[in-house]
Amino acid sequence: MKKKLLMACVVVALPLLVSCGSSEKERATQVAASAPTVLVEDAWVRATIGAKDTTMTAAFMSLTNPGNADIKLTSATSPAAGMVQLHEMAMKDGKMVMQEKAGGINVPAGSHAHLAPSGDHVMLMQLTKALKPGDEVPVTLKFSDGTSHDLTVPVKAFTEEEEHYHPSETPTS
Amino acid sequence: MLGYAGVAVAGAVAGGAGGVAAARRADDASHQAAEMVARDISPYGEHQPAIAALSPKHAELVALNLLPGTNKAALGRLMRLWTADIVALTAGRPAPGDTAPELAVPNAALTVTVGLGARVFALTGSKPAGFDDLPVMRHDRLQAAWSGGDLLLLVGADDAVSVVHAVRRLVADAAPFARPAWRQTGFWNGTGPDGQPVTGRNLFGQVDGTGNPAPGTPDFDATVWADTPDWFRGGTTLVVRRIKLNLDTWDELTRSEQERAVGRKLSTGAPLTGSAEHDELDIEARDADGRLVIAENAHARLSHHSENDGRRIFRKGLNYVQDTGPTRENGLIFLSYQADVAGQFLPLLARLDASDALNEWTTTIGSAVFALPPGFTESGWLAQALLG
Repeated sequence: MKKKLLMACVVVALPLLVSCGSSEKERATQVAASAPTVLVEDAWVRATIGAKDTTMTAAFMSLTNPGNADIKLTSATSPAAGMVQLHEMAMKDGKMVMQEKAGGINVPAGSHAHLAPSGDHVMLMQLTKALKPGDEVPVTLKFSDGTSHDLTVPVKAFTEEEEHYHPSETPTS
Repeated sequence: MLGYAGVAVAGAVAGGAGGVAAARRADDASHQAAEMVARDISPYGEHQPAIAALSPKHAELVALNLLPGTNKAALGRLMRLWTADIVALTAGRPAPGDTAPELAVPNAALTVTVGLGARVFALTGSKPAGFDDLPVMRHDRLQAAWSGGDLLLLVGADDAVSVVHAVRRLVADAAPFARPAWRQTGFWNGTGPDGQPVTGRNLFGQVDGTGNPAPGTPDFDATVWADTPDWFRGGTTLVVRRIKLNLDTWDELTRSEQERAVGRKLSTGAPLTGSAEHDELDIEARDADGRLVIAENAHARLSHHSENDGRRIFRKGLNYVQDTGPTRENGLIFLSYQADVAGQFLPLLARLDASDALNEWTTTIGSAVFALPPGFTESGWLAQALLG
């Protein structure tokens, strides 16, 4: 969990370290230390068991950016879903609708992005099978700083705002 | 560190310590000052952190039984799920998917301890040495409703709402894997009038737990932490016994009769041969009539390690009351931590069952034994070395 942050630093620093001398090694370490990547916490996926539409669901999580430059969550993939999009909830013609978030989900410098029901979320579509509480779903997140996070996300039962994730009209972006 | 901002703001509105925590979360510059009032206990470490910590003011134990389909892989998923819940809740963040996120608050000294019952080892192998259910003792009047269990959750905090909320989330998330078999709620006052930690008292009024090895000492480490098998290094075992106290007949005794049964003074918990709580027992001392000052069958003598080939345990307790309409049952949830149940606890239990003077006023109505896996690090999860 929190370790993800450290791991990512190591991944960034390592290729540089291998190929450079001691002065550059120092610089590479500094670069890695001064450009920490996003910390992913409290991820979960809503179960589809009992839902009207069992072909899609959403993943939620907290993203923390301890660095001093904004980082964007630019894409996500999962072997459990044929298509994955980053979505937001927006008012359209006086109605709250779900739509693809242009440019991805921003994680402001020194702050958080909370992906939560009724807000931004990672939409998992064309699910290969029903997801029931107690399952785990692999999800890979890609960020604008070039890092990626491989997560194992638990599937949990949840009932709130179900209609938001199963709109009668196809959302447009 | 940087927390769940939505909750931090709610905490500021609620005021008090929550407000301080919110300020800490919003502004790193105030981090150091706020740290002094923080009562969050890190979930990480070599051992599950509540074991050696002070007794919580409020606690709940839930034993769960595995559903028929729960195999080793499923247990691994449950432990990863619980680990993530514990990491969030003990930091004052809602558990992932929390249906009542506002009930997750920081600075409540929330801890969660997870245990594995004997049936888990039928699925995994690698059962710790000496880990078995206890035999039924002569004085036991065990009820199935308070006994056994395949998994244990022991949740403690300074505030009952935090305990109830954490239990609710952990039990709900366990639903695909296991169902509660019993629940016990208890309370303990381990803080003196001056705010300093004290041993605390059971509902007989006795200072209870004086003979414990002190956490952080070699004695404590040798008593509590297991070495083998490999996955269990840094783990321990927990005996949970629900002991009904008959306060009606206890209250009929004179104070000196009560003190003789225990071998300690009610006022301070000092042995009858001493003057301060932690004075060593003088088990040879006799009064003017030549009678042993600490009686042959006194609880303090029988349970003292010098009388038990040096075997020790680490004891904690939680008082409980169980109300049924107008009727109240009073008791003690007896908790004993030791590296080896069969080697350390069982001989002591057999000895107390045979002759403890307190048996006249106490009846054990529930009994269960759990192996508590070692702690986990930021990149790991509970019982990973057993289930991973």
